[in-house]
Amino acid sequence: MAEVQLKNIKKVYPFISGEQKKSKKKKKDEPEKKKSNLQITDEGVVAVQQFSLDIKDKEFIVLVGPSGCGKSTTLRMVAGLEEISGGELIIDGKVMNDVAPKDRDIAMVFQNYALYPHMTVYDNMAFSLKLRHTPKDEIDRKVREAAEILDITQYLERKPKALSGGQRQRVAIGRAIVRAPKVMLMDEPLSNLDAKLRNEMRAEIIKLRQRIDTTFMYVTHDQTEAMTLGDRIVIMKDGYIQQIGTPQEVFNHPSNLFVAGFIGMPVMNFFDAQLEEQNGKYFVDLNGYRVELSEDKEARLKAKGVKSQAITLGVRPDHTDVAKNGVSGVVEVAEMMGSSVHLHVNSNGRDVIIIVPTQDLKESYAIGDTIHFSFNGNVAHVFSKENDKNLEF
Amino acid sequence: MKKALSPAQSSGGGSKMHNLLVYLRQHWQLYVIFMLPAFLLTVIFRYIPMGGISIAFTDYNPIRGLFHSEWIGFENFKRFLSSPDFMRYLGNTLKLSVYGLLWGFPAPILLAFLLNRIMSKKTKQKIQLVLYMPNFISVIVLCGIVRILLSPTGMINSLLGTNSNFMTMPSAFRTIYIASGIWQGAGWASIIYTAALSNASKELKEAAVIDGANIFQQIKAVEWPAIKDTVLIQFIMSVGNIMSIGFEKAYALQTDMNMSTSEIISTYVYKKGLLDGDYGFSTAVGLFNTVINVILLISMNAIVKKMNDGKGI
Repeated sequence: MAEVQLKNIKKVYPFISGEQKKSKKKKKDEPEKKKSNLQITDEGVVAVQQFSLDIKDKEFIVLVGPSGCGKSTTLRMVAGLEEISGGELIIDGKVMNDVAPKDRDIAMVFQNYALYPHMTVYDNMAFSLKLRHTPKDEIDRKVREAAEILDITQYLERKPKALSGGQRQRVAIGRAIVRAPKVMLMDEPLSNLDAKLRNEMRAEIIKLRQRIDTTFMYVTHDQTEAMTLGDRIVIMKDGYIQQIGTPQEVFNHPSNLFVAGFIGMPVMNFFDAQLEEQNGKYFVDLNGYRVELSEDKEARLKAKGVKSQAITLGVRPDHTDVAKNGVSGVVEVAEMMGSSVHLHVNSNGRDVIIIVPTQDLKESYAIGDTIHFSFNGNVAHVFSKENDKNLEF
Repeated sequence: MKKALSPAQSSGGGSKMHNLLVYLRQHWQLYVIFMLPAFLLTVIFRYIPMGGISIAFTDYNPIRGLFHSEWIGFENFKRFLSSPDFMRYLGNTLKLSVYGLLWGFPAPILLAFLLNRIMSKKTKQKIQLVLYMPNFISVIVLCGIVRILLSPTGMINSLLGTNSNFMTMPSAFRTIYIASGIWQGAGWASIIYTAALSNASKELKEAAVIDGANIFQQIKAVEWPAIKDTVLIQFIMSVGNIMSIGFEKAYALQTDMNMSTSEIISTYVYKKGLLDGDYGFSTAVGLFNTVINVILLISMNAIVKKMNDGKGI
């Protein structure tokens, strides 16, 4: 257990000689290029930058974002598997930038389990302790304790190939916890499991977290995992932090359009709308449908001195209701999800998703039906057209 | 459309043999197209010439031909086994092979481990190119280089400040033979291990680093298991070839002065068969050599299988 501080961490992958020659051909005044979602500078390819985060002791932090956003690179820098190009990594008060991975007192769980195939489960779990010359009886006690916690005692003499994916991941977690590390790093540990097993293992990790006192850093691209596991979530894109907050905070108050679209399932509905300020009150106008924003939102907008302007309006599908009056749209798809129906409605060329709980279903919706939908002012998110930022923050 | 399943995949029920037969029946065209040419070539160039082995049991006369030469049974074998030089030739062959195996077999494995540690892909490629090049030098050219380097006025003597003629020293022959062999072949032989090492999981290596393993422990825990099966197969094959040392190199490095260690069975066969024209005798010696090889191959395979959870050839 330890506090972890990442201060303005940066990761640049330098060019290999061939690439450098190519990059030299670039004119001096030419702007920095972007290849896919990576930033390319004179130094090289920038994978992570301006990453600052204070992780509290025993906190469960989840790094989440799309592929290539730099979340795994950040975790690997904490692990010592990647060199830190800039900034400071502090674990338990000590700067760890140049400390070897084995001396950082961390343990890591990998996506592909990374179990030694020729060793038994017991030996896999005992390996790191053996390397540290831990007495045999202590190794035995620790391995059996961890096996007990993870319910894998019966598999201790088996080799990894004789285990299922879920069991292998338990062993991988077991191997990490026997060391009682100060920081437990997990790099997409559930990504190789099927949906059912993933849900089970997610619950296991929550239970495990309650049993072992340590700080967790968890990387995933799955926002459900992030929301259910994390005390705080760090949402990343293109190497930058987009928002840090509790699951509730990032869900209710997304800092920008990316976070709003990334967090929440189904994704938030976005509309081109107009924000209007009249006598200290704020309204959003969506194709003539006018909604007054809630008082707290108005207060925040007022405090920031936001003026009337064209905006991107975001409303979550769960907060969009079928109504008699409101914005009109044509039903294109109706997906029965069991407890609810997801209506895909075409409204002015945009696909709008509306979640209608099955118990509230008073009428059936056929493809081609014209319906109206509305939303309340307390669930409308207003984003700047200029920089995609939430105008409230 | 029939779904092509491998015999292993289709083992839903019944015996393995039954599944294999079903699979072969389903895909017989595949085997005819791909295997028939190889089968025919093997029969024509490997099995039919085996008829020539019968020369070993005759007092072969090329004018009378194979069928009209006198049948003398095991006479040629008796002659070779009772020859006063038999033990020397056998000893020289075995020593050269065994020492060659002991020194030469681990060299490409170590080289592969070293190459695998080079992080820069480009540097690795350049080093590999340099290491592979000697393999393309002909044995005779190699022997020429060795002779020049080791001559009394050669580079080695210049470096050592001596003027010894290493090529005339019986005690130096095996070292020269094996060391030049390693120099020529280790790089090329490392390809198979380098390829096998590429299968070693990167994550596993990283896990070992985090676990606190040093380089040797990483090799033991991650890299060695990844190439172990390949090493074993290569080892069995090498042991199977222990007696089949080609005569060219030994012959090219041979001098009248180092004959006591450089005369091996294959050079003897060459001299007897092609220089003296004693074809029956030289075929018998060659056959003896081959039989020993086969025995060694089968024995080593059985030993390795016992030691390696039943895995062998």
